[in-house]
Amino acid sequence: MLLIAPFVICYLVVFAYPVYKMFAMSFTDAPLIGEGEWVGLDNYIRMFQNKLFYTSVYNTLYFVVLTVVPNTLIGLGIAMMIVRLNGWVQASILILFFMPYILPVTVVTQIWQWVLDQQFGIAQPLIEAVVGKRVSVFRDPFWAMPMVAVVTIWWTNGFNVLLFVSALRNIPRDYYEAASLDGATRLQQFRRITWPLLWPVTALVLTLQLIMQLKIFDQIYLMTQGGPFNSTYVLLQLVYREAFGRNQGGYASAVAVALFVIIVAVSILQYQLLKARGK
Amino acid sequence: MSGVTLRNIKKAFGTVEVIHDVNISISQGEFVVFVGPSGCGKSTLLRMIAGLEETTSGVIEIDGTDVTCMEAAKRGVSMVFQSYALYPHLSVFDNMAFSLQIASRPKDEIKQKVEEVARILQLDQHLDRKPSQLSGGQRQRVAIGRAIVRQPKAFLFDEPLSNLDAELRVQMRMEIARLHNQIGATMIYVTHDQVEAMTLADKIVVLKSGTVQQIGSPLELYDNPDNQFVAGFIGSPRMNFLEGKVVQGGNDAPDEVRIELVEAPNSSVPVTLSGPKPVPEATVILGIRPENIETGNPVSAEDDAVELSLKTEFTEELGGVSYVHTLTEGGVRVTIERRSDRNHIAQDHISARLPTRHLFLFDANGMRLR
Repeated sequence: MLLIAPFVICYLVVFAYPVYKMFAMSFTDAPLIGEGEWVGLDNYIRMFQNKLFYTSVYNTLYFVVLTVVPNTLIGLGIAMMIVRLNGWVQASILILFFMPYILPVTVVTQIWQWVLDQQFGIAQPLIEAVVGKRVSVFRDPFWAMPMVAVVTIWWTNGFNVLLFVSALRNIPRDYYEAASLDGATRLQQFRRITWPLLWPVTALVLTLQLIMQLKIFDQIYLMTQGGPFNSTYVLLQLVYREAFGRNQGGYASAVAVALFVIIVAVSILQYQLLKARGK
Repeated sequence: MSGVTLRNIKKAFGTVEVIHDVNISISQGEFVVFVGPSGCGKSTLLRMIAGLEETTSGVIEIDGTDVTCMEAAKRGVSMVFQSYALYPHLSVFDNMAFSLQIASRPKDEIKQKVEEVARILQLDQHLDRKPSQLSGGQRQRVAIGRAIVRQPKAFLFDEPLSNLDAELRVQMRMEIARLHNQIGATMIYVTHDQVEAMTLADKIVVLKSGTVQQIGSPLELYDNPDNQFVAGFIGSPRMNFLEGKVVQGGNDAPDEVRIELVEAPNSSVPVTLSGPKPVPEATVILGIRPENIETGNPVSAEDDAVELSLKTEFTEELGGVSYVHTLTEGGVRVTIERRSDRNHIAQDHISARLPTRHLFLFDANGMRLR
């Protein structure tokens, strides 16, 4: 008992109490700092009447759709190419792909604002080749969110690659040799051996991604501030605006509770679905 | 000609050649065992036949077709891996049906074939289980079953019993022998265990450092080894080797040489040779199997024999047979096998007779002198 006391104390002080406080505050009209009056469900009613809340929920889910599955598949694809390399070549390529992950988000967004700059960004010729004109991507409601997704995938993909590489290394070579003796093509080997054996890791990566991407905030705050025309406004940003911009701690807590419920619901749902598929 | 033929097979990894000019011909239905110490290239050779390793030069023929450059799947061989390589996410049925499913055979045919093989291997109760729910011996049988279902031209076994405990190994060894009698297919089996080789093989190929040392039936190799390596490798406990030299004899017969042991100077024995004789003073190695050394009263006194005084170290009593481990005065280990003789050797020193008719003679390079 005494031995786990440090953990229990830390957990209670910096996690359980603040979480309880957030739930409690969501039923009051408290400012950011200080106590408030009990207002019952007023904050929630206000939230459900707020159009920006629905926009934020929609944008958050849109961002999740744009990132979770593509990020996982791209990670798997890169990992499968990397495992085929040997020795130091494999290690160096893996490091190259992992590198963006160790960068702070401010550096990542700065790099991409340069890359995508309408005047001198090196990605602009590519965009021009596809759509016929240069686009100021972070000022265009159509382009803004997909570009935030691209930046996020570029930034976080290395971690998925790492997880997949170690999972792929754990599949014995014998399985592939036995399968090739049995006449299985590379595609059949992937479908019948690699994919099912990788499934637990794939499910883990998908779930981790889902939770992480639902909490999207930094990249949006640094690159678009929710604009243009609220096209990248997400839930955490709403929480931030209400709490720190408008000093409405109680209302911000209600939005935070909503985000919490969404994350719990979606990840439990997804995990159950993945588990069912695995069997 | 059916069966498997290897002609002038070589294999190099980079500049290092690991298989040197191997020639083996295996006829249809034969059980051939590749045996040798670890690193001798036996597994590499097997994988080359399977098509899992490229052949640097030479020709591999299976059933009369040159398969040297053919991909593994088209060679019509199946292989049982040391690790079994069973797919952990598939049931026993699906593991065994894998190759047929890949070949898109009709479902009924797959079911019928798998169930038939499962019956032969007594796996019919376990078809729904996952490999992780099976015992070592059962997994081994699934791996064999997976190979049989394909009805291959040849079975390749890569040290299939080395992950089993001693008792199970003996049991599976008998099952494999029984299976071979039952289905009569060509089987190539790799092991480092000479007992497995002796008990299973119609023909043994002894390999050392990528070269074939000798090919022959188990008893041929035992009774008539070509060199010191084969003589020492085949047989358990291994053959005893003692150094000696050729001495000049006064009244030798033309096909005899006189050998004097380093351990027993001043007493030379005549050994009959039909081939070329070694020159006088040449160093030779004498080999004698543990069961041929006589202790106590001579069995046939008229035989020529080397008399040797040995210091006993310890005795392994196995019931029907016991092995006496001894040292010569010069410190060379000599093992003596004694059967149906429960008289414990109490004394420190025993005198042993090495009858000349049981002696094998090798030159200084280890080649047999016949």
